[in-house]
Amino acid sequence: MPNEAALLDKNASGASGVTTAPKPTGAPAAKEDVLFRMRTELARALKKNPRERRWVMVIDQRRCIGCHACTVACMAENKLPPGVVYRPVVIKEVGMYPKVTMTFLPRPCMQCENPPCTEVCPVHATYTNKEGIVVMDYDQCIGCRACIAACPYGARTFDYGHAHTDNTPEVGGMILGRNTADNYERDANVEYGKKRERKGHSSPVGNVRKCHFCLHRLMAGILPACTTTCIGRATYFGDAADPDSLVSELINHPNIVRLKEELGTAPRVYYIA
Amino acid sequence: MNKKSAYIVGIITLLIGLWGFYDRFAYGHDHAAYGSVVVWGLWVALYFLFGGLAVGCFLWASLDLLFEIPACKGTGVKALWAALITLTAALIAIAFDLGHMERFWKVLLQPNLHAGVAEDAWGYTIFGGLTAIALFRAVNQKGKDGVLKVIMVLGLVVSLYVAGAPGKLMGVNAARSFWHAGMLPVQFLFFALATGAALLMVILTFADKKEKLESSLSILHPAAIILLGINLYFTWSYFSQGIAGGMPGIMLPAQEIVSGQYSGLFWGVQIMLGGIVPIVVLALNGKNNNIPLSGLMGLCILLGNGVSRYLILVAGQKVEMLPGMSQAVHGPGLTLTYSPSTSEWAVASGLVGLVILGLLIGADLLLPMFTKSRQEA
Repeated sequence: MPNEAALLDKNASGASGVTTAPKPTGAPAAKEDVLFRMRTELARALKKNPRERRWVMVIDQRRCIGCHACTVACMAENKLPPGVVYRPVVIKEVGMYPKVTMTFLPRPCMQCENPPCTEVCPVHATYTNKEGIVVMDYDQCIGCRACIAACPYGARTFDYGHAHTDNTPEVGGMILGRNTADNYERDANVEYGKKRERKGHSSPVGNVRKCHFCLHRLMAGILPACTTTCIGRATYFGDAADPDSLVSELINHPNIVRLKEELGTAPRVYYIA
Repeated sequence: MNKKSAYIVGIITLLIGLWGFYDRFAYGHDHAAYGSVVVWGLWVALYFLFGGLAVGCFLWASLDLLFEIPACKGTGVKALWAALITLTAALIAIAFDLGHMERFWKVLLQPNLHAGVAEDAWGYTIFGGLTAIALFRAVNQKGKDGVLKVIMVLGLVVSLYVAGAPGKLMGVNAARSFWHAGMLPVQFLFFALATGAALLMVILTFADKKEKLESSLSILHPAAIILLGINLYFTWSYFSQGIAGGMPGIMLPAQEIVSGQYSGLFWGVQIMLGGIVPIVVLALNGKNNNIPLSGLMGLCILLGNGVSRYLILVAGQKVEMLPGMSQAVHGPGLTLTYSPSTSEWAVASGLVGLVILGLLIGADLLLPMFTKSRQEA
């Protein structure tokens, strides 16, 4: 996407409405919140050349309680319409009564190093950017949905133009229905550093959409929405190319797994099982 | 069925389709039933069917215009016209399916040629161009035409490629085990040949000079029997291996088709009506070319093959990418179930109407007009 770098640079300077995170100051308390550490590491990573960074996400399934806060935070951050989900939490019941338990699998885009979705795009509308993140160019996407069919993780959804206020009643003089109550839905989000209002059939309506590790937040020095919102601190994010980062420590543990590794996709999302 | 009835059917189906076309343009994909799990539905199945028909018709046209088989004389121009009409229907079907159909030009001018969709788009564009040129040369043919032969050779090569291209588009998709079979493109080639023969059988039913065309049927009927036999063999191989292999990604869609939700369509329409019945009827009919019966069997084959594309396409998508995914998210289009909506059926009806009327008008007005003007010249 030709304008992406410039737009993201603008974002980084707070030009498009994204609040820049306050710079971490001083040494944290003895037992610091991992968010503080990750934010410090993020600031360190952003000083590097983009190609020298390797963004990864680590999800500790043992700590996930299935609260769906990450799903909701993601929807709010990216103003996702009905039917578009970037980060669902897959719930699985394990065992048999009376020994039953549940496992939770938050599933963002795996940001594969060998993504099968980009190869099938007929117009280069989805590709791996210089940050190593698989992104969408909404103005290029023709909406053929071949990438959805090709993703082995079901991490892409199509924006059919639905609104949360669809089919809600309109009552004159009251804040009800689409005409008066859905200003929030019409407001622009800032995905990929570009403001896009939801108007008619213009993009991103009619496009395939996906998780992008909150690229617009990263460039402003803020962690992805799912990471900061995780109440169990089960989601970790950072630069795996930094040997001192938290994610580097985590992904070198033997109990790390990646989904469907046999397909050769090399996901950048790791799970601690 | 006489030609007048065919016109009436064509007009009615097109009128129904006009509502579907309006709905698609006015409301986008709002009224479509496909979503983010089953992303390709009836319109893509029709794209495969009509695209295959176009290629199949071209290949049959080559018997007359390239190989000059005496028994096929006179069918080449009709087959090329049918190829153009069905190709148009295929392209409309796939354009309607796009989220941004106004950006279709990007596939041609800014393509990623490693992608199956772009390969298909370019393949069908080249194929359409060659077919149009071949048709123009054929209706204006005076004696031997070397250029026509060259075009037909090129078209034959391109046809063989694009016939299998939709199968390749699906077959290379490693995420969908049900489609990820090396023989899928070959199956699509044989489906195309069978449907091409079937459409010609239908077209010949409405031909004015039937006595001249009976010789064509003497080739088309045995060919259809053999091709349907091959298709049945492919189907048996595909499903029996899929189920016996036990891999969930392959077994579950195969079971859904053979013994699940789609078993009626599979056994009743694809296997019986579109396979065994035409084989038996055409075989029993022998050299007694009953032309209306031939047309009816042609329709049965088209219906059966249409259903087979639909089942392979849709069932292959009704698999959870991760166990529990379908329960994890709720919302429009996030379900494993799919049945075409009224709007989708209306568009399908319109496309069928366009093809019927296109073929009839071509046979009655356009092709004779071109021929007459050539004779006058």
